Amino acid sequence: MKEVWKHIEPEHLYFCYECSRCTGSCPAAMVLDTPGPRRILISCLYSGPNAVTSEESLWYCTTCHVCEDRCPQELHIVELLTALMNVAAARGNIPDKVRAVVEKIARTGRSVVTYRVDEERIRFGLSPLTRINVEEVEALAARTGLFEKVKT
Amino acid sequence: MKYSFFPGCFIPARYPGFEASTREVLRLLDVELVDLDFSCCPPTTSVKLVNYDTWLALAARNLCLSEEQGLNILSICNGCTATLTEANKTLKEKPGQRRKINQLLKDFGHRFEGNIEVHHIGPLLNRNIVLEALRDMVVRPLKGLRIAAHYGCHYFRPPRVMFPHSLTAADSYVPVALDNIVAALGGEPVQYSRKFLCCGSVLGANIGGDDTYGVVWEKLQHMADREAEAIVVPCGSCFNQFEMGQVMAKRRKKIKFNIPVFYITELVALAFGLDPERFGLTEHTIKTKNFLDKIA
Amino acid sequence: MAVAEKKRTDPEKNLRIGVYVCHCGLNIGGVVDCRAVAEYAATLPDVVLAADNMYTCSDPGQEQIKADIREHDLNRVVVASCTPRLHEPTFRAAVAEAGLNPYLFEMANIREHCSWVHLHDKEPATAKAKDLVRMAVARARLLTPQTEIEVQVTRRALVIGGGVAGIQASLDLAQAGYKVYLVERSASIGGRMAQIDKTFPTMDCSICILAPKMSEVGRHRNIELLTLSQVESVEGYVGNFKVKVRQWPRYVTDECTACGDCVAECPQLAPDEFNAGLSTRRGIYIPFAQAVPSNYLIDMELCLNKEGIVACDKCYQSCQHQCIDFGEKDKIHHLEVGTIIVATGMDVYDPTPLTEFGYRKFPNVITSLEFERLINAGGPSGGHLIRPSDGRPPERVAFLQCIGSRSFRSNVYCSSICCMNTIKDVLLIKEHWPETEVSVHYIDIRAYGKGFEELFRRARMEGVQFIRGLPGEIIENYQARNLTLIGEDTLQGAIYRKEVDMVVLSVGLEPRADSEIIQRILNLSQAADGFFLEAHPKLRPVDTPVSGVFLAGCAEGPKDIKESVTQASAAASRANILMAQGRVSVEAITARVNEELCTGCGLCAAVCPFKSIRLEGEGKDKKAVVIEASCAGCGTCAAECPFGAIEQRHFTDPQILSQVQAATEIEPENLVVAFCCNWCSYAGADFAGVSRMQYPTPVRIIRTMCSGRVSTKFIAEAFLRGAAAVLVSGCHIGDCHYINANVQTEKRVRKLWRRMEKGGLDPNRLQLAWISAAEGNRFAEKINELAQIVAKVTPAEIERSREFFKPRKK
Repeated sequence: MKEVWKHIEPEHLYFCYECSRCTGSCPAAMVLDTPGPRRILISCLYSGPNAVTSEESLWYCTTCHVCEDRCPQELHIVELLTALMNVAAARGNIPDKVRAVVEKIARTGRSVVTYRVDEERIRFGLSPLTRINVEEVEALAARTGLFEKVKT
Repeated sequence: MKYSFFPGCFIPARYPGFEASTREVLRLLDVELVDLDFSCCPPTTSVKLVNYDTWLALAARNLCLSEEQGLNILSICNGCTATLTEANKTLKEKPGQRRKINQLLKDFGHRFEGNIEVHHIGPLLNRNIVLEALRDMVVRPLKGLRIAAHYGCHYFRPPRVMFPHSLTAADSYVPVALDNIVAALGGEPVQYSRKFLCCGSVLGANIGGDDTYGVVWEKLQHMADREAEAIVVPCGSCFNQFEMGQVMAKRRKKIKFNIPVFYITELVALAFGLDPERFGLTEHTIKTKNFLDKIA
Repeated sequence: MAVAEKKRTDPEKNLRIGVYVCHCGLNIGGVVDCRAVAEYAATLPDVVLAADNMYTCSDPGQEQIKADIREHDLNRVVVASCTPRLHEPTFRAAVAEAGLNPYLFEMANIREHCSWVHLHDKEPATAKAKDLVRMAVARARLLTPQTEIEVQVTRRALVIGGGVAGIQASLDLAQAGYKVYLVERSASIGGRMAQIDKTFPTMDCSICILAPKMSEVGRHRNIELLTLSQVESVEGYVGNFKVKVRQWPRYVTDECTACGDCVAECPQLAPDEFNAGLSTRRGIYIPFAQAVPSNYLIDMELCLNKEGIVACDKCYQSCQHQCIDFGEKDKIHHLEVGTIIVATGMDVYDPTPLTEFGYRKFPNVITSLEFERLINAGGPSGGHLIRPSDGRPPERVAFLQCIGSRSFRSNVYCSSICCMNTIKDVLLIKEHWPETEVSVHYIDIRAYGKGFEELFRRARMEGVQFIRGLPGEIIENYQARNLTLIGEDTLQGAIYRKEVDMVVLSVGLEPRADSEIIQRILNLSQAADGFFLEAHPKLRPVDTPVSGVFLAGCAEGPKDIKESVTQASAAASRANILMAQGRVSVEAITARVNEELCTGCGLCAAVCPFKSIRLEGEGKDKKAVVIEASCAGCGTCAAECPFGAIEQRHFTDPQILSQVQAATEIEPENLVVAFCCNWCSYAGADFAGVSRMQYPTPVRIIRTMCSGRVSTKFIAEAFLRGAAAVLVSGCHIGDCHYINANVQTEKRVRKLWRRMEKGGLDPNRLQLAWISAAEGNRFAEKINELAQIVAKVTPAEIERSREFFKPRKK
């Protein structure tokens, strides 16, 4: 519980009275099989984060923040979910696609493949892509413990 | 006005036409852009979810690069704007975090001072003086065509981070920039249900599977119900989602929406009378020909 | 019982103090060695008698005190027992019966503040009890006899607001024989209850049960009804209020027979406020059919005739009784009343800012008040439930609860009546149109009152669907204008998409937008939510902190009709108590000015929360004068005066200073001197005691009526005498029993902090805490905190503060 609570204060979260405006607004809950922000929050508060950190559905959050916008208790739901996902990642629960893109960003400084991109850019009268200080990016990622979580 | 230019990862690589139209439009509006060696922002939808500290460090690094040139940042992507704005605010307001980050950045010769702001192309073009200039420079008005604006979530949520000075009585914020720009360009902004719903692109990016298009399909349906003739977006990911959404709708549900999608500066470039082919406006996946013919 | 040798402090005064240390069974005696405390008391100068007994407050206990007063010629009495907030009046009455002035009596709180909170620290508790007795004796020495002044009470009442609460209060008082002025802002009495269709739980027709009361008010010989009137100013004090009321013109005289001929002629249109804007009315109109008074009126903002120019006289021409008078002007009424009842009612929440529900965007999303008018036979649709978009009856209706209530995005509190209002509404729909599909989307259903649960059951039996889970948003099918609710049914754990034809937003209640005006005029307190604050939430629910002013109805907080009527009768009864006696006595703790020392600077008048101090005279003769009857006895003026020219009786500077000195006689370096206000923090400390919360022993509490009384002098004295720390505590800002006196307290403490910092003293040794009567735990926590500070204070620091606070020669 402490790992999650170092990111976010729990007291305020207990204000939740399960009106479920959050889940009612959630785009992920609309189309995918997920319990939604209300049940994740309540499970986390009353059964502890372990009840949710091994679920894949935790990663369905798009961080669109509509839940926070409509929550009458002004709970920072996305902050909680972010903290839970951070903890989940530390325990090896990350979807493959997320793992892949995060590693790409940490190693190349970009989230997309840049093969032959410069040719296209020239066509539009643009200069080639800027050169990123990849060493800095990778070092910062390493120092902040990213690679322990994205073990390949 | 002079900014450091933050194009993000997606647009420069996948939609260079957007970057080109942005640069040209801003040049015509007398806005100077400086290119710096920014890295990926990094996204709140991947890196931040995996390791908050890495996210903050990399975002801080980008902010420092601009601070070191004494320039505010102009971003053309929702996600980048959200990341940089939130990181900027966190580091400005939380001395503990700032100390930690500066300790880390010290070895790379950077230091976060907290003396710049982050701007997004949408609100920038919506500023009174810029809107005025926009109106004056329109030579090919959009002929009252019904254009549905999709702002995307990271444009304005959470409002206490993205628009802290414009909160409504319910602590919310209702964005108006894109609609104003469309009106200034001679188009007719269209209201439609679930206008502020997410496009759902993150679901596809992080999870994948056809179901994830359900969100954008609903939006497209509402836009079609209101007879929208085009969609305008301020973000590359949202653009991609609206195009691919229509492709998948045809493939999986046999529904043809045929609503062309435009990035905001593409529309501005069109209204300014610039050549559509120059910015790849004729190369969109969802055909733009009908729309372009209507305003010719 | 020990009758000690006469040790005197001041032979001239011939003080003969009797001290009684109560065991209170084992409540005190089980922890404190009461006998030892009594023996100690006997050693104090001027104490001629010291005894310990089992139950001092009992009849035998009281008789003993009375007997001792007579037998031993006692002229001061100290009882060390429970909190004075419980038994001070008891003992004051007892000593008065024995012929001693009741203000020569003092108590030491050795139960709530000692034995109950130091259950396992018997020795330190006994030592603390001795200190507290010594402090009480020190104060008792300086007490002087006081007489309470009596003020005449005018036997007339003012009721502000003509809703059901105002109506009930007026009728109760009028029937008791008093003259009542009922002042109502709008053109007719009736308020919200007149707008409602049926009432829960009986399903009575609202206007049918209200109209008889309304016409009784209109007829009653003791009630003077002033409609289209507003209170502009109130001066004076309890029993003697001078009220200025402005009455706006109707432009229609009393000859009006309500025939309605004029309305047909009037060309002007405006939204009808009574019908919540769902229909229109003309420039000349009657608010509703059953209006009292039944005169029509002209809305001059709307009328084509302005500023004396008659451009249109259609109504005048059509009127057979010639009762239209465009020349009417405002009338000013000067009223003299003894009591005032505030029954100004409430407004409903406007849900427009909650954009996800589409109110004002989607025509078929309406509020519960608009629903009430639609379903009412006298309403804009003749009682037919129709959709605003196409006038057709809805086949599916959804009600959304808690709109604008229980939310940080609007109002935080629960509005109490919306659940039952919806249950009543859905039963009405089912009664008239049983085929309609009705659903209620809720978070909790609050059916707390008599008959409420039964009504809730009936609603379920009628097939109303109760879905737990508010929709995240409402979207509109803009051709059919139907609405789709998208939400999660939390009990099923499933997302729902429900299409309905009409949505009713069950909106919450809010204080009236103009309640601030009344608040200012009458010096009332508003709670954080904007409703008026009662004097005590449990024991004085219709009194306000201002003597003679009472509350009734929704002005005090959201409530239903039954509660409003109950409160109205309660307020009338409270007003009756004052007016029946014809006089009221004012507790002798009011402020008094020493004219010789007064320089007329006006600082006291500036801080008086009740505006009870006036400056009279010119130039050198300018002096402060206290209007004793409206002085509430907070003492802020006394703390503020730089010349010592104004004192609070029974809480004088020397009396309080003597308590500080007595407290710091033994080992001050291990002590916290705490100043607690009678209404909140002292009560909070009592509550900690009642709840048996344990905390360390080093605190010695001195009671003032208000934290505003705590002068910088007292704090300085404590530090001068070597105290380790000082605590100043009072009511939360905004909740001060004396409206806002604690704001002065804060200013003074902040100033002192700055001085201490400049002088190199640790400002942490002076603590400021706002602790309410319910926050016993906060009080205990604070004492824990302070005990730690005390443990860390060094002798050098004590010495430094002693030096710093030495009085300097000017």
